[in-house]
Amino acid sequence: MRVALALGGLAALFALPFWLIPAIDPEGSGFWQHIFVTIFVFAAMACAWNILGGFAGQLSLGQTIFYGIGGYAGAMLNQHFGLIPWFGGIVGAAVAVAVAVFIAWPCLRLRGPFFALSTIAFLEVIRLLAIHFKDFTGGSAGLPVPMFVGTEMRIGWAWMLFREKENYLIIAFGLMALALAVSWLVRNSRLGFYLVAVREREDAARAVGVNATGVKLAAFAISAALTSLVGTFHGIYLNFIDPETMFSLPTAIQVAMFALIGGLGTVTGPIWGTLLVVPIAEAARGWLGAAANGLHGLVYGLVLVGVVLTMPKGLVGSIGPWLKRRFGGVAEVDSAARIQPPAPAAPGEERPPVGEPLLEARNLVKKFGGLVATSDVSITLREGEVLGVIGPNGAGKTTLFNLLSGFLPPSSGGVRVRLADGAWVSPNSPHGFAAAGVARTFQIVQPFTGLSVRENIMLGAFHGTRSAVEARRIAEEVAATVGLTGLLDAEARSLTVGGAKRLEVARALAMKPRVLLLDEVMAGLNPADVQQAVELIKRVRDSGVSVIAIEHVMAAVMALSDHIVVINSGRLIAEGPPSEIARNPAVIEAYLGEEYAHAAA
Amino acid sequence: MDILLQLIANGALLGGVFALISIGLTLIFGIVRVVNFAHGEFLMVGLYATWIMASQLGLHPYVAALPLAVVFFFLGALMQRAIIQPLMNADPHIQIFATVGIGTALANGALMLFSADLRSVDLPWARQATDLWGIASVSRGNLVAFFVSFAATGALIAFLNRTHLGRAIRAVAQNRYAAPLMGIDVNRIYAITFGIGTGCVGLAAAVLAPLYPAFPTVGSFFVLTAFVVVVLGGMGSLEGAVIGALIIGLVESLAGYYIAPDLKEVVYFAIFLGILIVRPAGLFGVRGNE
Repeated sequence: MRVALALGGLAALFALPFWLIPAIDPEGSGFWQHIFVTIFVFAAMACAWNILGGFAGQLSLGQTIFYGIGGYAGAMLNQHFGLIPWFGGIVGAAVAVAVAVFIAWPCLRLRGPFFALSTIAFLEVIRLLAIHFKDFTGGSAGLPVPMFVGTEMRIGWAWMLFREKENYLIIAFGLMALALAVSWLVRNSRLGFYLVAVREREDAARAVGVNATGVKLAAFAISAALTSLVGTFHGIYLNFIDPETMFSLPTAIQVAMFALIGGLGTVTGPIWGTLLVVPIAEAARGWLGAAANGLHGLVYGLVLVGVVLTMPKGLVGSIGPWLKRRFGGVAEVDSAARIQPPAPAAPGEERPPVGEPLLEARNLVKKFGGLVATSDVSITLREGEVLGVIGPNGAGKTTLFNLLSGFLPPSSGGVRVRLADGAWVSPNSPHGFAAAGVARTFQIVQPFTGLSVRENIMLGAFHGTRSAVEARRIAEEVAATVGLTGLLDAEARSLTVGGAKRLEVARALAMKPRVLLLDEVMAGLNPADVQQAVELIKRVRDSGVSVIAIEHVMAAVMALSDHIVVINSGRLIAEGPPSEIARNPAVIEAYLGEEYAHAAA
Repeated sequence: MDILLQLIANGALLGGVFALISIGLTLIFGIVRVVNFAHGEFLMVGLYATWIMASQLGLHPYVAALPLAVVFFFLGALMQRAIIQPLMNADPHIQIFATVGIGTALANGALMLFSADLRSVDLPWARQATDLWGIASVSRGNLVAFFVSFAATGALIAFLNRTHLGRAIRAVAQNRYAAPLMGIDVNRIYAITFGIGTGCVGLAAAVLAPLYPAFPTVGSFFVLTAFVVVVLGGMGSLEGAVIGALIIGLVESLAGYYIAPDLKEVVYFAIFLGILIVRPAGLFGVRGNE
């Protein structure tokens, strides 16, 4: 239904300038067709920009680098080697990808305004270089797109150059459709989920095995290639290219603007944004002529400020949910009421025996400057075991978890994990640990608040599958296990503390880990919820997952753990079975003070 | 040798111009934590305002400097209240878009009102050369800009360190959550700081008007350099901005002569990218500010 509506809308958008306007107003149709070519071109670029700026949240203001590369590749290969622009476009896209990777390497580690500034700087450098090397580029004088070379007429489909303007409409529309289709595919693929996850919470994304730099790089490359294709076509359409128009900062800003006005990170938003503002500005320019110089920019600027202040999510992001509430009848969910107890263990499910070591930390040391947060800690997790980690506040338990999951590199010592095939590996990054089968939760819950519960769990499931359908199935299965089935469609930000903790566990479970690190999943829960959490962890254990749990709820730790390690001031002060630990004087002292230790002894 | 000395003098004076433009930008970033992409357009508006006052009212640009700074203070404070304040807790990209939108609207508004022609303030005195101890010859206007930039920076630093309001401003910069617990009205501080930052641009515009013509895109001509200066010196550091400006002025002057006139900007953009990558806090910035 929605797809049919979207395709219908697109068809109408094409039919309007192609058939309808020429039929009504044959005289003025050239003007309108020019406006629509402009709309399609900018919509395509805004869609491409949105993959990087919206999905990945990397606000590039240098996107015309790739537009210019495409334009120059088409024109220069045409001029110097007599190659058709279709080929030039492909070469341009390849160069654009290479340049994107080169630029991304230093820029992607910068955040917010600094990323934007660095992309502007690259754009300026490339523009200045294009002016300087005039032997290749024609310098500031520019390059005309030749229609005749000697006696050869370079016109027609092969050369992308026409006398009949409708043909330009076809190509421009095709580019927009391509950008939209790629954008849709990205958003609905694993890559799209990963991009949104990285944008919202990079740490939590890395915990579910996302290679944050890798996916941002992919977004940059896809966006660059699409933009370059548009540049090749537009250069020929304009009949002339020069560094000022091809590597233009104002154009780069406009493209980003259109996407924001329409709705950052939505699939169709960039098109709506372009449709809203380009016709106003272009029509005014056409009617008022030179008197309106600057008018389009003024309109863009004012609309942008207005949108930012009144609906920062853009047209689609703000009006879409309103329409849904108004007509879709989605009622607000009372999230507390919808949480069910976790599914009971299947009858006959037997606990597997504790086996060989699965994860080993050897002599881990972590120093922050002069502070030693972890001091010579060695622990071993055996297959099928629940290992409890206890210790007073500030003892260094979470630091230990960060070392065990690759979020912090140890100052010395190492962690190794046994793979399913028996080989031992020592990963050094969060996604490396995830790939080795280690999943974790965060003490301070890190849901992707803008996504639904289902999508949150799917992010974990994508670790094991590329298919969105499969990920969806796994998400539903895991939701049933933890008791979140009734909330699958709720936004993650609407969850209660208990719900959010379960979501945290569900996301980790959906990764189908062999080792699960649980960081205080029971803190802040009421006694009934704690009881359910204990049952849940037992089930997880019985299904063959080995667990390391940091926990303060003593009754639960004692009931669950096969083995307990006690950490204080970064050191391992005791370990053993729960019954021994409860009587260990060092532990009592660490928790309650020296007098109690004597009293107990 | 003579040429080298002349180039160094030119570079230092150009650095003075850049410093004058950059101190407002770095102040606003350091305290309000907003990168004002419309900063260059404020300068453009100031240049036009000076031109109008000079050509219509016959006001000497240097006389216009203080009143313009005061007017710009209120404009900046107003903009902060109306547009930046509601977005203080929004994503950084929303703040970027807001200031980009203001800049785009101002530049194009100027294009509509004044067309793309260059409008120069006629003050031959400022363009005349004066001899510096026989080693270099520089324009008087540049010399004025150089000294004004040092005076303005010195005054600002003294204000921030010696006055109660200045201390309150620094307190907000250091911890915007603890400052209100000390009885500081954080939002008022933001508006004042934004006003002071824009006031600096007004002052800069009046002092620079005899040297540079007003045209709609003059802002982006200067603002990119100002960003380079501010990042180099460390976002938020006034001393850093002055030293960064002198470095960039010298780089521009020397690279323009020894490398190629049209590649001098490439050189300092390369420095800019290098600094962002290697030491994002800049030469004098506080780590963590980035």
